[in-house]
Amino acid sequence: MAQKGTGAAGALADVADAGAKMLKGGRLLGSVRDADVAIATTPKDLVWSQDKVSLYHYHPLAARRTGVPVLICYGLIGRWTMTDLQEDRSLVRNMLNLGLDLYVVDWGNPSRADRYLTLDDYILGYLDGCVAEVARRAGVERVNLLGVCEGGVFTTAYAALEPGRVNTLALTITPIDFHADTVENRAGHGFINVWTRSLLPEDVDRLIDANGNLPGEFMGAVFNLMSPMRSLLKYNYDLLDVVDDEKRLLNWLRMEKWIADRPDHPGEAAKQWLKDLYQQNKLVRNEWELDGRRVDLGRITMPVLNVYAKDDHIIPPATSRALGPKLGTTEYTELALPGGHVGVFVGGKSQKLFAPGVSAFLEKHDRASA
Amino acid sequence: MTMPDYAKAFTDFWAAQGDAMLKAQAEAARMVTDGMQAMASGTLPALPGAAAAGLSAEVADLGRASTAVMELWSAAAAMSGEVAGKLAADPLPVLGEMETSAVVLGRITDPRQWLSGTGEMDSIVSRMAEGPRLADLWDVERRFAQVAQAWMLVRRRQLEHEAIVLQGWMQAGRRFMEEWAGKHGAEARAPDTKATLALWTEVANRQLLDMQRSEPFLQTQRNTIRATADLRLAQQDLVEHFGKQYGFPTRTELDDVHRTVTTLRRELRAVQRALRGRTAPDGVLPVAPPTPPQALTARPQEETH
Repeated sequence: MAQKGTGAAGALADVADAGAKMLKGGRLLGSVRDADVAIATTPKDLVWSQDKVSLYHYHPLAARRTGVPVLICYGLIGRWTMTDLQEDRSLVRNMLNLGLDLYVVDWGNPSRADRYLTLDDYILGYLDGCVAEVARRAGVERVNLLGVCEGGVFTTAYAALEPGRVNTLALTITPIDFHADTVENRAGHGFINVWTRSLLPEDVDRLIDANGNLPGEFMGAVFNLMSPMRSLLKYNYDLLDVVDDEKRLLNWLRMEKWIADRPDHPGEAAKQWLKDLYQQNKLVRNEWELDGRRVDLGRITMPVLNVYAKDDHIIPPATSRALGPKLGTTEYTELALPGGHVGVFVGGKSQKLFAPGVSAFLEKHDRASA
Repeated sequence: MTMPDYAKAFTDFWAAQGDAMLKAQAEAARMVTDGMQAMASGTLPALPGAAAAGLSAEVADLGRASTAVMELWSAAAAMSGEVAGKLAADPLPVLGEMETSAVVLGRITDPRQWLSGTGEMDSIVSRMAEGPRLADLWDVERRFAQVAQAWMLVRRRQLEHEAIVLQGWMQAGRRFMEEWAGKHGAEARAPDTKATLALWTEVANRQLLDMQRSEPFLQTQRNTIRATADLRLAQQDLVEHFGKQYGFPTRTELDDVHRTVTTLRRELRAVQRALRGRTAPDGVLPVAPPTPPQALTARPQEETH
């Protein structure tokens, strides 16, 4: 590294350092191979599929400590691979190491041909099919559901409509009251809520009708609006910061890989997501209907663990925490984790709290150990 | 994107950064110089793509919106010069391709980057709307007129939105100047670039977040989304006209097929579900009504498997 100084000498040293960084970074980038930035590598088997939906069963990494399996359900915005980003930042691996029996559902890559799929289809069709298969394979009546973000809404609705098939419900960064972003009103938090409410229902219809689906890159742009300067600096200043450090660069590339993998959201399901929930807030009001059946949160009578991120700017904590008073059970627990929406999965501090917290909850309510 | 593509994209990106450095530096300098000269002479710098006024009401509106943005553009260029001056307080020697810091600073204070940063969604919306080029559609006059009208409305809405975004950036620039002067104005030696950049990032982020929640921002963005959806629908109408004429399957027909397939699959799943409930495979217990949580925890072990 060049000797630091003041004035022109210091600036010269800065420039020399930057040049050296770029040279090393260029070599590193040129040597990156597929295996170096592979994500979601924890071994698993495809055990069931229907249309574009796939159900995977993870190989055990430790002696099993619970009898009831867990089904991880991510949403249609982004992909479940965030839960298994890399070996040392993996909720999946951490849960497997704690002896849990783990499944995950992958919704696939919806295309224009899937524009008429509704949330009714996803929740009472595909998710129900996954639950049935997991239960069949494990020989149990009920399974544990772990819903993430939009997937948390799926599992919440499923638990309310099919409580007899759910042993416990664990939610992570899940919106329940879509208008509770105004509770704390923190700067930069809850912009999606504000943005969606700025549209009229017919605007949403027209956007979907014109495009068929809600394009993944469109939602990505909305997310970028939430941190405008970060978005501007990301591919120059931030990249320059990590480019000469192999470990940090590969971590950065894995995260970019996950961000770039943003499937389109099926159109009719997107209308429900944006209008029924974000705009009209029907879930927390017990007014949401799927297949003509009302989703009554009071019918959720199994134990519930609600995990939220204290600095989540996408799903502000109050929008998640609104669930507690609406449930039909007193066995409701909250787990507040440090970090933001993505940080709960990859942050160093939350790594030590997240999986152990979920595991303790599941062990407590595992019928095999009761 | 496959992994080799992904790796190549990043490698290409990095290589392109090096190649673009001197060009970007020269372009940034030219932009600021042009802006300053234009303001000094009482004129406005040229805005690429600005429409000529007077052809129609839509075009006139488009022209007015363009002019308004050009005026903001001039002011933004001047503002960027001041901000960049603060960020690059230390003299940075030219070392060819190694002058990374200066380029980075130039990029993040360039008004064009401001628009591209917060206007990412607008550009994506535009790409979603801009399917076939206008020239391809020139033959069908009535439908073309609808497309052209919708296209001009999109451009006008985008300019109106860009004006709001530029105002937000200029507000950020003014606030940065104030806070910088408050913190460092009395110091004999200017703070280092890193500290100044941190201040600029913090101040700009705060101001932009405020702007994005403002009614003018949300309203102009909503108008842009509406206009782009209308353009895309007008384009689809025109293309469907061709499709029907020549016997090609149209979007509407494909949507009908997809709707039918989705409905059939839905019915199939319902049948499968009903069968599953009636004849449970080996190992599956019949579905029971919900059990109170306290009973769940007290359930004997032998009942679980």
